[in-house]
Amino acid sequence: MVDAITRQTITYGTYKPTLGDVLGDLTVKPLTGIPVAVAALYAFWSVFTSFAGTLVTDGFMVKFFDGFWLPWMQSVWPDPASWHYFLFVGNPAAETCFEAFGMLTSGFFVSIGVVLPAVLVFYLMMTILEDSGYLPRLAVLMDSVLHRIGLHGYAIVPIILGLGCNVPAVTATRILETKKQRFIMMTLLALFIPCGAQLGIMMSVLPDLMGVVMCCLIVGFVIFGFVLHKVIPGENPEILVDVPRYHWPVGEYVVKKLWNRTMGFLKEAVPFVLFGILVVNLLYLGGVVQGLANLFEPVFVTWFGVPKETVGPLIAAFLRKDLAIAQLSTIPMTTYQMVASVVLVTIYFPCVATFVVMLKEGWKELLAAIAVLFAVVFIYGGIIHGIGILLGVA
Amino acid sequence: MEHNESHETDDNQITPVGVYVALLGLVTLAFGIADILVWAGVRPGIQVGILAIAGDDFFRWAWGGFIMVCAGLFMLSGCTRVTTLQQSAKVVLGGVLVWLIAGTDIFARLCAAIPAGEASPAYFNSLSGFLAAFAPPYTPAVLLLPFTLGVVYLIRMHDTDDS
Repeated sequence: MVDAITRQTITYGTYKPTLGDVLGDLTVKPLTGIPVAVAALYAFWSVFTSFAGTLVTDGFMVKFFDGFWLPWMQSVWPDPASWHYFLFVGNPAAETCFEAFGMLTSGFFVSIGVVLPAVLVFYLMMTILEDSGYLPRLAVLMDSVLHRIGLHGYAIVPIILGLGCNVPAVTATRILETKKQRFIMMTLLALFIPCGAQLGIMMSVLPDLMGVVMCCLIVGFVIFGFVLHKVIPGENPEILVDVPRYHWPVGEYVVKKLWNRTMGFLKEAVPFVLFGILVVNLLYLGGVVQGLANLFEPVFVTWFGVPKETVGPLIAAFLRKDLAIAQLSTIPMTTYQMVASVVLVTIYFPCVATFVVMLKEGWKELLAAIAVLFAVVFIYGGIIHGIGILLGVA
Repeated sequence: MEHNESHETDDNQITPVGVYVALLGLVTLAFGIADILVWAGVRPGIQVGILAIAGDDFFRWAWGGFIMVCAGLFMLSGCTRVTTLQQSAKVVLGGVLVWLIAGTDIFARLCAAIPAGEASPAYFNSLSGFLAAFAPPYTPAVLLLPFTLGVVYLIRMHDTDDS
């Protein structure tokens, strides 16, 4: 009976690999896979900068916001000396939206002019990588490297997602098996992975220093990942990954994913950007920022080697890190100070949206992550300053 | 399987396709090395006819140059017995890397050509300004692009085998 069913239902033959199969194998073998991963990252970054930076932000948004929106707001809003002008329009002498820092000027420029195109193109490429079948292969390729910092290959998903927005990235840490892995990943995300908004702003205000800043973050990610792996008890099990065949992404699914992710980000990001500017301006008006700047001046100036004016942006960084970098760009600083302060903003406290999502994952983990975070900011900030002094640039 | 074996019999010979791939691989490798050397400051920049290597940007010339070097090495490693599946795949992978660099170069030009520029009051570039952005000189990857389209032949060949 069994033989009869087997004969009728199973066909025996030799499996013949296709070109796609062999290409799939080549992209997970380190010797050929690493150059492909390097090329994929190159293409990812090149398309990101060309589209979000050159075309949309520099090509159209800067012209619209600086040439039309800002002068119009400055001309129609009454009483430039009033508190409401400061809150909503910002500096009356500003010539660019980056300098104005009003809720309706810098707020709209940052969220619509800079962050939206950056996030849109980021999620488009992320979706293409996912749907083509490359992302699981990247996970296999990165597995041995990520095991050295207590993670496994699929940690590449929250890492890449974090480059778009840390909020879905924190949620994506659930794909990791153990508490230890999730804690390490969440802490590293909060510390060393700049979000798409931050990347977009960094690209706009300090394009020449992007390489140095990213280098500092990657080195920090590896060192502190390794340390956390050694210090934190727990397991780091192996995984079995189902790697699909390469295929062309289906246009309909790509559009749907892109729409959902971008809309989700917009709903969350735009209110936070506007609210962040409002709160920071209120803190400035109330003299809180100045008070904190005076209080933390010794730490910032002596230990980190950055001006005390960076305290304001660091407060803003809790609300939106992209906003903080935009603020930093208006403070006169040396190249070292700019690199150090941008790195500090990135590794400093997670933005409030990420904070809330981390809280949902568990308050104990959040408290532990914050403790690690303060220690890392203090140590790594000091190390960067030390290196700057040794190189004669600090 | 039988089909593959039939390829194996004539794969030991040096075929015209193999020679073409080897030459392409050598040129790609040389361009990649040139990209990196120019970026490193060995020469201030190269412009020969319609070919230009500016070397002014780490990301484009050092990182991109490394990818071109890898592409050249993949093609060279796949040029013998090029019609076998394994070897073809290496050549295809090399071609894809060149396409990535060339594609991003062309996309960068396209993105820079659409807006009118800071000095102009208009938002969009004029048609002549847009077309002028695509005039020579070109990067090595863009110049290699038409020659790497031969890779499509290998892809088609194995597609036919599979069907």
